[in-house]
Amino acid sequence: MNEISRLFPNQLQTELDRALTNRWEPLQEIRLRLQQPIELIFNQSHEQLVHLKPDKHDFVHIIQQLSDYSLYRMEEELREGYMTIEGGHRVGLAGKVNTLNGSVKAIQYITFLNIRIAKQKIGAARKLMPYLYNNGYKNTLIIGAPQTGKTTLIRDIARIISTGSNQVSPLKVGVIDERSEIAASINGVPQHDLGSRTDVMDACPKAEGMMMMIRSMSPEVLIVDEIGGNKDVEALLEALHAGVVVICTVHGYTLDELKRRPAIKRLLSQGIFQRFVLLHHTSIPGSSYTIYDESKRNMLRQKSGV
Amino acid sequence: MVWLGALMLIATTTWIGFEWSSRLANRPKHIRQVKNALQILEAEMMYSQLPLQEAFHAIKKQTPFPIHAFFDRLYKNMHQESKDFKVVWGNSLDELMDISCLGKNEKEILLQFGQTLGQHDFNQQQKHIYLARSHLERELENANDQYEKYGRMAKSLGVLCGLFIVLLLL
Repeated sequence: MNEISRLFPNQLQTELDRALTNRWEPLQEIRLRLQQPIELIFNQSHEQLVHLKPDKHDFVHIIQQLSDYSLYRMEEELREGYMTIEGGHRVGLAGKVNTLNGSVKAIQYITFLNIRIAKQKIGAARKLMPYLYNNGYKNTLIIGAPQTGKTTLIRDIARIISTGSNQVSPLKVGVIDERSEIAASINGVPQHDLGSRTDVMDACPKAEGMMMMIRSMSPEVLIVDEIGGNKDVEALLEALHAGVVVICTVHGYTLDELKRRPAIKRLLSQGIFQRFVLLHHTSIPGSSYTIYDESKRNMLRQKSGV
Repeated sequence: MVWLGALMLIATTTWIGFEWSSRLANRPKHIRQVKNALQILEAEMMYSQLPLQEAFHAIKKQTPFPIHAFFDRLYKNMHQESKDFKVVWGNSLDELMDISCLGKNEKEILLQFGQTLGQHDFNQQQKHIYLARSHLERELENANDQYEKYGRMAKSLGVLCGLFIVLLLL
């Protein structure tokens, strides 16, 4: 966790290390607010370090470390409101926003920081994989509410497919990582292990990215996060007709609820998805799910630890 | 013996005079070099989008001594000496003051400029560079004036002081 603790000024760093001894593992977020106690979010609980209140100087220090002393390079990040750091961790930013002609130009005064600790769970999808494979991978839709582990799962699926196993040979995987969450790339270099046959299109709009991938990189499996809009669905259908296996996630709680969303409804009515994985909310994200096949039959109802 | 001593005395004061004069001559030169370095910094930030450390490396290669020593030190110490960039900048500046002919005012300008580096978006950063450059421009004029006023005088004053003391002592 050196990538994270190095961000803090020396004094804060020691205090944090003391507060966190042996508790890095369940740590999910470190939240900083100007002149407010630092908040730590764990898998099951959260707590405030009342005696640690970062001041302006601490913020300047942390931001300098985040940007490698070069905030002027962070235009894109300051507009998007987050940056990715070494190790794939993401830092969310908030504060005073500057606008130009009504659209966000940059966050000027950063007064709220949320350091989200990335934990690649290698093997998170291993138990799931046999259900997605039957003489070739099946087009799969992974459905889940926020924090249920959609991205964790899809990242591991990408890794497993492009690594292959004894029975299944590795395939070429194309990942469209619009929000830089799957691969968490820095300057195009993935910070997470996605296997050796994976190509990543980072920070690229999904619809365009999918077409670019298909045109130029000839993937056998396309992996996309958080589809939603009409354009996404359009591009997805295009990809499916091009004979590429698509595995994607979508935000939702139940299958029935999805059918009420116009764009997704169109996608479902075509009957192209052969597997649906519905994630349940548990304390360990990505560990509990239901799998349906193309005729919406429950393939299992399992609860398992990873 | 007396003559030898007298000669040595005159030689010394002459040397002091020349040294003073060369400092006066070098100050504008060094200020100009700093200004150039800031211009390179701006270009590296704007066009190459380099991180600060890489930008220092690029400047180091394009500037003459002693400015190049300053950026070289910054480049090498940025992640070692301290996590606080201001400390590294301050220490490097102190060393620069020892080897260059820059004056107090220039030091103050650079110190202020260092506080702003890497904390702003590009436009603001550019404004700070312009500000530092215009301050330096003013100092440059000042240094040029001083050289014109005292440069030649410093040399002759050295010799004359020596002669004067010798005459007094004889």
